Amino acid sequence: MSISKKTNRLGGKSQIPAIEVRNLTVSYGPVPALLDVSLSVAPGQLVGVIGPNGSGKSTLLKSLLGFVKPDFGDVELFGEDADKAKGRVAYVPQRGSVDWDFPVTVGEVALMGRYGKQPWWRDMSAEDREIAEYALEQVRMSEFRNRQIGQLSGGQQQRVFMARAIAQGSEILLLDEPFAGVDAATERAILDVLETTREAGRTLVVVHHDLTTANEYFDSLILLKQRLYAHGTPEQVLHPELLSEVYEGKLRVFAHLPAAGQSEVGQRGTPHE
Amino acid sequence: MNSVYQWLVEIHQANPYLIKALLTGLLVTTVCSVIGCYIVLRRTSFLADALSHSMLAGVVGGYLVMKILFNEEAHALGMLVGSIASGIFTVAIIGFVSRKSRVKDDAVIGVMYTGIFALGGVLASRFSEYVHVDVYHFVIGSILGVSDGDLRMMAVVTIVVLTFVILAFRQLQLISFDRVMAASIGVNVVLLDYMLTTCTAMVVVTGVQVVGIIQVVGLLIAPGATAYLLCDRLKNMIWVAILFGWSGFLVGYYLSEQLNVAPGGMIVVVSTAQFLLVFLVAPRYGLLAGLQRRWRAIPQQLIEDILGVIMRSEDEQATIAGIAQRIEYRVDRIRKAIQSLTRQEMLLVEGDIISLTDEGRQHARRLLRSHRLWESYLQHLGVAAEELHDRAHVLEHVHDEDAVDYLDDKLGHPLVDPHGAEIPEDFVHLVPGEEVRVAILRAGHRGEVVRVIGADTGGLDVGMQLVVGPREDDSQMWVVTVMDHNSMQGVVRLNHAQADSVIVKLQPSD
Repeated sequence: MSISKKTNRLGGKSQIPAIEVRNLTVSYGPVPALLDVSLSVAPGQLVGVIGPNGSGKSTLLKSLLGFVKPDFGDVELFGEDADKAKGRVAYVPQRGSVDWDFPVTVGEVALMGRYGKQPWWRDMSAEDREIAEYALEQVRMSEFRNRQIGQLSGGQQQRVFMARAIAQGSEILLLDEPFAGVDAATERAILDVLETTREAGRTLVVVHHDLTTANEYFDSLILLKQRLYAHGTPEQVLHPELLSEVYEGKLRVFAHLPAAGQSEVGQRGTPHE
Repeated sequence: MNSVYQWLVEIHQANPYLIKALLTGLLVTTVCSVIGCYIVLRRTSFLADALSHSMLAGVVGGYLVMKILFNEEAHALGMLVGSIASGIFTVAIIGFVSRKSRVKDDAVIGVMYTGIFALGGVLASRFSEYVHVDVYHFVIGSILGVSDGDLRMMAVVTIVVLTFVILAFRQLQLISFDRVMAASIGVNVVLLDYMLTTCTAMVVVTGVQVVGIIQVVGLLIAPGATAYLLCDRLKNMIWVAILFGWSGFLVGYYLSEQLNVAPGGMIVVVSTAQFLLVFLVAPRYGLLAGLQRRWRAIPQQLIEDILGVIMRSEDEQATIAGIAQRIEYRVDRIRKAIQSLTRQEMLLVEGDIISLTDEGRQHARRLLRSHRLWESYLQHLGVAAEELHDRAHVLEHVHDEDAVDYLDDKLGHPLVDPHGAEIPEDFVHLVPGEEVRVAILRAGHRGEVVRVIGADTGGLDVGMQLVVGPREDDSQMWVVTVMDHNSMQGVVRLNHAQADSVIVKLQPSD
């Protein structure tokens, strides 16, 4: 795939949603990890996924990566089945899972994004290098290309892995708690990268823990606890009542949610006699 | 048996040097096993290996110093102090380098200890005219060549190490388990680390006598690792490790006599064999136990299918043959599952007839409810009619209370499934005295309104007495009669949202 083709695809805003999840149920036993989750994310959105521990956030990410077999329902990425569209999503690892002492430079990490495109006996092509370089440019890390990855600030480190994901040619980036354990300045810098990446037309799904910042960081939020409690703008989702229900299990109010995307509940399908 | 006795008593009585060997072995394996437990738990086996190898440099160094300065030949204490010093030095420098460099500690250990070991070898050969260390014995061990001085030294080491471990038991347990917490309550973690290292060095020095540098790690770690597979408490682990240390030594020593091979090697072979055997047969953490557990485990799905079959059978009674006909599973597994269900008091077995207990019926009804709601859900999503049952049969095992309630609510609390069969009511919540939403009530339920949520309740208010009638409008309209002192006051029709907004305290039905 050439660069120009890629920009074309990203540039031409299609009506197909980047992510379409329909009635997804995933379980590892009597208690479902995800129950009847339906949501749709338009291309070019920066989406936060929030919810308490064990609420199915990582199961949702795995489903988007095509790693889990759902009990029911389907996941589509740009209209393609998730397990057939594996190249279209890139996973950006948690900072803690990276060995920052590893002898590898910024440029090499970005190039790793292209490793899947060449068989092992063939060299990386000039085009691959060009794409990796372009990805670094996009996250404004070109000048650091010969730096070892440990010698970067937290925000810069995040950018390198974003560049790798971009080099993979993925339009959808999944990030697992990129803000975990970083200081305020770094958090700002990482957010800056996320926003730049979104402006380049990519869709970002970010697992997030901090409710106080969820409001300003994301275009929309997904509030999850086994089932989808809300999906909409931060104002719609961050309702104190809704949050206390999800996080503290205070109320047992059913499905009448203030948020959008719940029209199906209103339809009340007619179970047969 | 007789020959063992003969070997143990008669031969040893006749040969005092053999008694010395026996005593040496028992002392050494005792301390090795005790310290080995800590090494296993602290995952410092490789460090212990490093320590033992570095000892060669210490022995040669100690020998040279005593020879040159005091003209003492083969001074035992000098060599002991030398080996302990080189052991501690090795551990210290490994710690320092791995803290200050990006190289991780396994690589640092590998680099440093081979270097120090090699240095010992170089010194020994360069000064071979002064140093009369038998490098071969040092590497392989020679339990039969133990001198009285060696034995005295071992006794001292044993006493020192055991005293330390007994007195500092709690502190050692804490620094091995949670260093940060230990430091926070004022335990001197660094000092204890070095004391434990010193003990390890002393123990290794004695172990080298028995099995040599290369194999001493086996003597040190195998008993602890073996005990680790059997014990869940540190104290027990130490005792069991000592027993394995002794048995490994005695059996190995005996076999080496019988087979006429080097005792050191045989002892380590037996210790390793003991470990493998225990790994195989240990009751909880063993390989076979794990396999047996997996084989014995009865799949939840089978259990639930059996309950379902009995529930749907005539008079809620079935036989094993009848169940086996309807579930595709091996009969012996079905029989096992039924036994397990009987133990859990879900089933009652009388002769051939198997029936449900109250608890079993409750569980079966939950499953039935789950199955029928999942079928309704699937139909609602447009799944083809012929697929409904099979797909719901898989999904019914997702029967968590909240999940099923969610489906029920999403579907508008349906009364019947796509095949027209009745969906059991929400009997988990429908208990007299409980506060429930009107939406989950069925015809005949009665209760008093105790709370309303939201503004639109269709005119119902707190304090009213309700009796629920049959639903109307394709089951989407709830019909309740408001009672006033048992006389009818009026009929109210509610939609789903309204019915969800009214909370009543359920009263016993007539």
